[in-house]
Amino acid sequence: MTDSYLYIIVALMPLSAAMLVFQTNPYHALIIRGVLGAMSALIYAVLGAADVALTEALVGTMLAITLYAVAVRSSMVMRLGILKDYLSDHIKEKDQQKDQPTPEPVLEPAPAEETVASSAQPPPPFETLLSDLRTVFRRHHMRIELYAYADSEALQQALMDRDVHAICLPTAALQEAVSAQGDRESLYRKPDWQSEPAPYQTITRLRRLYDIMNAELASSSTTLTLTAVGRSAPTSVSHAIPVSVQPLEEQP
Amino acid sequence: MTLVLIAMILALLIPMCEAWKDEDIWQTMLAFASIATKTSVMILVVSVLRDDWMIGVVGVIILSVGNAALMLLAHVIKRLSEA
Amino acid sequence: MDLISVLSYLCIGGGLVFWFWGTFPLLGKRSVLFKLHTLSVADTLGSMAIVVGLLLRIPNEWPLLLLAIISLALWNTVLGYVLAYCSSPGSENDG
Repeated sequence: MTDSYLYIIVALMPLSAAMLVFQTNPYHALIIRGVLGAMSALIYAVLGAADVALTEALVGTMLAITLYAVAVRSSMVMRLGILKDYLSDHIKEKDQQKDQPTPEPVLEPAPAEETVASSAQPPPPFETLLSDLRTVFRRHHMRIELYAYADSEALQQALMDRDVHAICLPTAALQEAVSAQGDRESLYRKPDWQSEPAPYQTITRLRRLYDIMNAELASSSTTLTLTAVGRSAPTSVSHAIPVSVQPLEEQP
Repeated sequence: MTLVLIAMILALLIPMCEAWKDEDIWQTMLAFASIATKTSVMILVVSVLRDDWMIGVVGVIILSVGNAALMLLAHVIKRLSEA
Repeated sequence: MDLISVLSYLCIGGGLVFWFWGTFPLLGKRSVLFKLHTLSVADTLGSMAIVVGLLLRIPNEWPLLLLAIISLALWNTVLGYVLAYCSSPGSENDG
C-alpha cells in the first residue's frame, strides 16, 4: 500500500480544497466543488474504500452540486420593485405570455431592444439606470429581478412587507404620494440640497445593498435611501425610520 | 506502471490549473469534464494494477455517472447564466 | 506474452500522449469550442487507448473494461455535444 504515487494523489485533495476555499465567484466555486468531489472519489478508490468513493461520486458530485446550484441561483438575487408604467412595451408582452400572478417577475430586456423601447411616459434614463445597476451587481455576482407594482403606494407597501429588497420610483410620483397623504411624516421628502432633484429615487432596506450602491453606482440619475424596516414586518409605512438620506456623490 | 500513474497525475494537474484561473465559466466546466474523465480512468488503471474487481466496478460507475452529472450541471449552468 | 506486453505499453503510452496533446490547449487563449474539440477528441481517444492497453495486460477483467470503453465512447461524445450546445449563447430553449 505504500506506493510512491499514493502520496502525490493524496496531496491533490488539499490542493483542490484550497482552490475551492479561495474561489470567490460562487458559480466557479460550484464547479470546483465538483472537481474536489472527483478528486476525493479517486483518493478513496485508490486507498481501497470503494463504497466511500461511490457515495462521494453519487452524492458529493451529483446531488450536492445540483442543490448548490439551486441555492446560489435563488439567493444571489436582488428583487427590485418598480412601477408598472416603467416597463417598456416589449417587456409587458413577455409578461403576459408568462401568465404569472402579480407581482410578476419580469424578464430582462435584451440589450439591443433597450434603446428602442421606452414609451413616452417614463423619462429616458430609467433603462440606463437599470443597466448601471445590473453592471454594479454583476460585479458582486448578483442578478436583478424586476417586480412591477401598480402605483407607488403598493410599491412602498411591498418594501415594508419585505416582498422586495429595494424599490426604484420616480421622485415626482413619490412627491405626489406624500402630498396626497397630507399629515404623514414626510419620509421620502425631496432632499433640500438639490436644486434639480434626480429623476429617480432608489430605496432599499438592506444596509449591504445600500453600501454597494453608494460606493459603486456611478449614475447620478437616482438618489439612494436606506430605510429601516422593523423586525416584525410592519403593515404600516409610518413605522419606517429613514436612517440616512443622502444624494450620490457627483462624478467629477 | 507507477511511472504511468505519475504521468497521469501530471496530466491531471493541467486542467486543475485551468480551473484555478477563473475566466469564462465554460472553460472551468471543460476543465471539470477533463478532470472527471481522467480521475475515473486513473481509478481503472489502479484497479487493474492491483487486480481488484471492486475498485474496477466503482471506476466504471463513476465514469458513467460523472458524465451524466456533467450534462445535468451544464444544463443547470446554462439556465443560470441566461436568466 | 512479450509481444502482448509491448503492445499494451504502446497503447497506454499512446493514450498518455493523446491526453497531454489534448489537454495543453486548455491553457491557451482559444475559444471554448476549439478547446472542447481537442479535449473531447483527446480525452475519448486517449482514455480508450489506455483502457485497451489495460485490457491487453489483464484480460480476465474484460467485461469491466469493455463496459468502460463503451461508456466512454457513448457518454463522452454526447457530453461534448451537450457542452457545445450549452456554451453557445443565443440558442433557443428547445433542449
